Amino acid sequence: MKQAIKHKSELTGSEITFTVSEKLNKLKGKVLAPKKLADANKLLRKLKTPLPK
Amino acid sequence: MKYEVYTEIEVTEDFGIFDFISTGKNGEVQKRVAFTKTEQDKVYNLALGDVDEDNEINDYAVTDNGDRNKVIATVAAIVEAYTKRFPDRWIIFRGSTVERTRLYRIAVSLHLDELSDQYEIKAYVDDEVVSFVKDMKINAFLIKRKKS
Repeated sequence: MKQAIKHKSELTGSEITFTVSEKLNKLKGKVLAPKKLADANKLLRKLKTPLPK
Repeated sequence: MKYEVYTEIEVTEDFGIFDFISTGKNGEVQKRVAFTKTEQDKVYNLALGDVDEDNEINDYAVTDNGDRNKVIATVAAIVEAYTKRFPDRWIIFRGSTVERTRLYRIAVSLHLDELSDQYEIKAYVDDEVVSFVKDMKINAFLIKRKKS
């Protein structure tokens, strides 16, 4: 049986069902949108002050 | 922010990748949201795009499916669920184009009061992180769930 997680969104007022997908699970560990990630890392490396904890 | 959202979303068991179907004037389009660990501790990059034929995120795709607000609201709801599970993580996000970053800036500005109830909302500007104020020109957003 597929695992389903209900989420009541306070922001949108909707109830959302997240269903765990075995097909998606196969993508775990893969770097998705690598260019976007590289851009984010580039920005973070240039950061002059650390992020608040 | 009482927008319609897509309510059926597939997810990985680690809550890192989310897929949903956009339905609009151009038919059905599979959308994907992914949170990926960056080089900085506890900072995760948010990527959003269409799923292409290689099962990759194409964040430059122009879907034009007539459901932009519904997609953005769905992503907001996903971020809400994600940060509830991982409240100590920062999320960094920006558009893949200047126009999309502007769109995100407008969306956040429109709902800044209610978003600020839930999140610390920071802006990356000129290699500094500052508190975001409405309509501020930014390179990227950094958000984190506020401690309750």
